Amino acid sequence: MNFFKRAWLNLTAKKGRSILLVLVTSAIMLFVLAGLLIRNAADTATSNAKKSVGATVTLSANREAAFKKMRSSTSTSKSSRPKLTTSPVKLSDANKIAKLSNVASYNATVSTSANAKGFDTISTSSSSSSTGGGMKSMGGSSSSGSGDIAISGVTATSSVSSFESKSSKITKGRGITASDEGTNNVVIESELAKEDSLSVGDTIKLKATTGTKKTYTMKIVGIYKASSSASTQQGPGATDPSNSVYTSYTFANTVKGSKYKNTADSVTFTISDPAKVSSVKTAGNKLISTSKYSLSTDDSSYQTVKASMNNVKSFADKIVWLVAIAGTIILALIVILMIRERRYEIGVLLSLGESRWKIVAQFFVEMVMVLVVSIVIAGFGGKFVGNQLGQQLVSQQTTTATTSSTTSTQGGQPGGGGAPGGTTGGSKPSGNMQGGPGSSSSSSAASQKQTDLDINVTVMDLVELGGFGLAIMFLSIMLASGGILRLQPKKVLID
Amino acid sequence: MLKVNDLGYWYDRQENSLFEHVNLNFEAGTSYAIVGQSGSGKTTFLSLLAGLDKPRAGQIEMNGEPINKIGLTAYRKSHVAIVFQSYNLLTYMSPLNNLLTAMAITDSEHRGDKQYAMEMLRKLGLSDDQMTKNVQRLSGGQQQRVAIARTMVCDAKLVVADEPTGNLDEENTREVIELFQKIAHEQHKCVIIVTHEPDVAAVCDHSYRLAKHEFSLEA
Repeated sequence: MNFFKRAWLNLTAKKGRSILLVLVTSAIMLFVLAGLLIRNAADTATSNAKKSVGATVTLSANREAAFKKMRSSTSTSKSSRPKLTTSPVKLSDANKIAKLSNVASYNATVSTSANAKGFDTISTSSSSSSTGGGMKSMGGSSSSGSGDIAISGVTATSSVSSFESKSSKITKGRGITASDEGTNNVVIESELAKEDSLSVGDTIKLKATTGTKKTYTMKIVGIYKASSSASTQQGPGATDPSNSVYTSYTFANTVKGSKYKNTADSVTFTISDPAKVSSVKTAGNKLISTSKYSLSTDDSSYQTVKASMNNVKSFADKIVWLVAIAGTIILALIVILMIRERRYEIGVLLSLGESRWKIVAQFFVEMVMVLVVSIVIAGFGGKFVGNQLGQQLVSQQTTTATTSSTTSTQGGQPGGGGAPGGTTGGSKPSGNMQGGPGSSSSSSAASQKQTDLDINVTVMDLVELGGFGLAIMFLSIMLASGGILRLQPKKVLID
Repeated sequence: MLKVNDLGYWYDRQENSLFEHVNLNFEAGTSYAIVGQSGSGKTTFLSLLAGLDKPRAGQIEMNGEPINKIGLTAYRKSHVAIVFQSYNLLTYMSPLNNLLTAMAITDSEHRGDKQYAMEMLRKLGLSDDQMTKNVQRLSGGQQQRVAIARTMVCDAKLVVADEPTGNLDEENTREVIELFQKIAHEQHKCVIIVTHEPDVAAVCDHSYRLAKHEFSLEA
């Protein structure tokens, strides 16, 4: 007979008390497990987000350096008007960066514009300034210098952020791919296709607004649908997003002029591990002339997911610790009450010569037996509670993240709506390069990914819960054992 | 076997001592009664002999060794068995488990010997059915027999009992006192019984009266 058997006899003899203890402990363990599950799920979601959300590094002209150069030339020679000169990105430079480790793929982007020839474009006018009220305007009627069709030359539409985030979708035919290099294939927007009754396989004509003003015959290989929100996000002076078309970057370069051959306005590199963005940027800067080009990073999607998952994780951590502390206090109080109730029994054991630590150990063993049953119960209920709590947390975090990202995106609307306007003058800042329809959608994609909080109870979770439970039990017994250590058998048994 | 040297005890002030300068010897194979009025300090004296409390003055020796040197817990474990008026059994156990627990704690030479424990209980009049019932289902007399059986299965040479017949009827009292006499004479143990019942004291081999802070041997 030892304290293990005494513990067992006590628990089985006092069934009502044991059941109550199991229920209280189960409730505490349930919340600790829920916290652990959410924390682990948030960890997994963050690491998954690293793989799925991705981050980009964009190579483009260094406008800051160009402005500096322009200002310095203004101060030295006042005879001529200052001119901002930027260099398009050479694809040979882009290829060097593409060979760096952690660069998964890249997408060259060239933006320009042309006038529609023989088909109607979509015209958007506000009610206050509308003169004709018509929805469409005839091709070639827009002002000279910038065309009414915005051309986004890309390596592949699938790498364009709006397509990645599904805010733009190919509805008919296919998107632009690397195999379209050197061709006049084009992907047009569904509203434009509907307006002009165009379908895949038809041809349209585009007339360059600069250089030789040559007319190009384009073959429609696909039709895409831009999200309705994209069409409402246009700034003043921008062409309607339905007038944006996608071609291979080689065609866009051809429209811009022969000197743009083998160049791009910007090249966006997709990084396989978002955590390596800065190291890719550092390595890339060594391969380019930083006075002409700059590398900018965009891991905002990853950061958004990471930040909100960190919030969930931090909240889950707080749940675990708060419940653990509250559980320790509650159990310590229960054990203290239990010890007071069992002073007589302790006195008898002391009178028999039992050592105090063995009496404390008996209480601990009793609580561990209760804990084992409670962990089994919590194991069944933990997944349910964790799911409920986790989804609630994630939906709150998603709402917060979406609201904040929408606010920041709307703040940068003007100029973000498309390529037309000034593209003929050379390269554009990288921020506008992907400014086709749905450019703000990467954050919503990130938000979407946050909902994937996969909560499952694994053996490791239960082991971790057991560790927490043991620590809680140990602390509770230690806090309560002062009563046992101070107890004088004479006072209990004789006085 | 047990020697009390210059023993003294008081609660708050020495002037109000229960007893002082007590010198007594207790021998194995003998039963002793300690009688006195309520509040005279006889139970306190017993608690000192049992190692449940420490004396304020003097010392108690077990086989020539001071019990504070042995350590009170070790002393209770190996040298003394206690019987209380309210039996003080472990209420969530059966009589048999109470005995087995005591044997395990005190490192009895019969530790773990279930048959030995059952035999003791049978000797004290408990049926096999009663042995495995919860101890609280037994009558007062039966519970006190279990408490006495507990002292018998342990190897302690000193048995102290505080009013062991206080809750018992006449017949049970007689039986219990006979049991104590058997423990003293047949098991060659030293039995010290605190009682206020003259009949119980009369059966014991020696009787000490505690009155006016002093012990005196009764004729």
